[in-house]
Amino acid sequence: MSLAVDAKALVKQFGNIRALDELSFYIKSGEIYGLIGPNGAGKTTTLRMISTLILPTSGNVEIFGLDVVNQAGEVRKIISYLPEEAGAYPNLSGWEYLEFMAKFTKNTESDVKQAINEAASISGLGDRLKDKAKTYSKGMKRRLLVARALMTRPKLAVLDEPASGLDVLHAYHVREIIKRYVKDYGVTVLLSSHNMLEVEYLCNRVALVNKGKIMVEGEPQELKAKFKSANLEEVFAKVVGYA
Amino acid sequence: MLKGFQTVFVKELKELVRDPKILLGMLVIPLVLFPVLGLVLGYAAETAQEQAQKATLLVVDNDGGNWSQTFIAFLSTSMKTVVINNTSPQQVLAQDLLAPNNSTQFVEIPAGFSANMTAHTSGNLNVTATVNVYGVFQGGGIFSDIGSSGINVLVSGFNRYIAPDLVRTTQSTIIKGEIQTGIDPATLSGLMALQSFALPVTIMIMLTYSMQIAATSVAMEKEEKTLETLLTLPVDRFAILMGKLSSTIIVAGVASVAMMIGYNYLMGSMTMGIPREVSVDLVTLGLVPSPFGYLLLGISLFITLLSGLALAVIMSAFASDVRGATAMVGYIYPLIFIPAMALMYLDINTLPLAIKAVFFAIPFSHPIIAAKAVVLSDYATVVFGIVYVAAFTIVIMYIASRLFATEKILTAKLKFRRGFGKKQTEPAD
Repeated sequence: MSLAVDAKALVKQFGNIRALDELSFYIKSGEIYGLIGPNGAGKTTTLRMISTLILPTSGNVEIFGLDVVNQAGEVRKIISYLPEEAGAYPNLSGWEYLEFMAKFTKNTESDVKQAINEAASISGLGDRLKDKAKTYSKGMKRRLLVARALMTRPKLAVLDEPASGLDVLHAYHVREIIKRYVKDYGVTVLLSSHNMLEVEYLCNRVALVNKGKIMVEGEPQELKAKFKSANLEEVFAKVVGYA
Repeated sequence: MLKGFQTVFVKELKELVRDPKILLGMLVIPLVLFPVLGLVLGYAAETAQEQAQKATLLVVDNDGGNWSQTFIAFLSTSMKTVVINNTSPQQVLAQDLLAPNNSTQFVEIPAGFSANMTAHTSGNLNVTATVNVYGVFQGGGIFSDIGSSGINVLVSGFNRYIAPDLVRTTQSTIIKGEIQTGIDPATLSGLMALQSFALPVTIMIMLTYSMQIAATSVAMEKEEKTLETLLTLPVDRFAILMGKLSSTIIVAGVASVAMMIGYNYLMGSMTMGIPREVSVDLVTLGLVPSPFGYLLLGISLFITLLSGLALAVIMSAFASDVRGATAMVGYIYPLIFIPAMALMYLDINTLPLAIKAVFFAIPFSHPIIAAKAVVLSDYATVVFGIVYVAAFTIVIMYIASRLFATEKILTAKLKFRRGFGKKQTEPAD
């Protein structure tokens, strides 16, 4: 069994704040893995660490066998990260933004064009791609960014709240796209979300994170059965002792 | 009263007053800037006066008569004088007689001085006597002609003592070792002062404007939340930094060339403030930089801009948005404004060693120093400045590249509440 992500005893200290506290988990190749938890639980810190943006204070993470600290350059070639509050360059058109991003991972003009066409299809923005990003609504911008994250068909897509700011239909569209990419192209997905329904629908396995620790981990059905709960929301409430 | 005005006003005031970066920029910097500038100017004026008092006046007596002795005796009551006889002004320069006497000017009493004085005092009032004053041009500055104006005062005093308008002076300037007859050093200093005002102002505007652009280029990435994505792409962090700097360098390069063209025009055509009867052509006098001088000045400007841009990028890394970045680069402004404003009025060569060293240590002084130095063909000073600022820029670029290579570019912030200048990092989630 090849592991897409293998995180061991991750600790991240920001001054006096311990954002991650011996956090460990793994993701199998081709899996959709969800991190769920309240604000400040350490989800984004984990995703940023896996995306080579910040360094662990201790512990280590390997992405398809590559160390995120010592082989950060190699890791960046196989991942794609979508931050929760990501934006696009306001004075570039959607098309120009996608082209700018594609040029970092694609080597030929035809590959770049193919990636952009794929992104155009994922985003569903059509002719609006010719307009500057500053004219886009929040939802349109998010669709553009999700398309950017997936257009290169990365081995690991790290998506922080992928459907954040999208209306019901567009959120549904994005979830379908993520599922299709995993099925058709073998992309592995690590995502975080506050939306328990989204996580339940998308993820093969989830981890409930609180105060920098994984409280419980497993398949959504398995967790619901274990905690005798109707949904993951209830599971989470029971795990943290709220219910 | 306008409904809601007070509520909005109070909220805005709270936001502004509680932002320490703005407070520092708006209050502390001006409160420090102007007193420092005042101190520098005061100290420089005092020093210039002291130097003028200490200076020896070289008197070339080519007359040798009684009246020339009287005139020299009068001068000696106010200034320390050294008298030499039967030497032409050209010989004074050729024999390098000024420097050993710590003097930048000399007075020639021409042959016939005593005869004319005698004629006048004997009743022939149409006859007047003349003394020729020669001053070395040193690059301008408000205190640079303290010495020459002193001689004029002495001659007026002599006239008051003997007879009104009896002794007249002719003024000549020594430029690059050659005597330019009829060119008054005071007029020339006035003309050069106008130019030494224009260049620093333009440099100040250009530096502050370019630094704002560079600072916002990183801050904009943070504000628009594009930096995180950019930093996870398979691209060298140094390439990102260089890409950002290069685009601003192009802007700076174009600005430098535009400035050189404008400055060339200014140097060639400025006649403002000069009386019509006085024809001062700076090109003929050799007080316009040579093509090589312009090249050096352009390089000096360019390299200084580059250092400013790199510094702005570093400073803006500690801000989370454009407003913060703008306030952050404001901390650099005193380093631009103080030398620029001071060197508008002062000649760096006349400053005390300590102040001179401080100005030389500030990279942003160098294009202004260079502008004056190239006029006087002092290329060594310009080249020193270029090398110094280039070394400074390399250090700054190295720090910037280190900053870009670590997570500090995302997490570093200046925390004022816990003590100014103390770096803190913040959790993302």
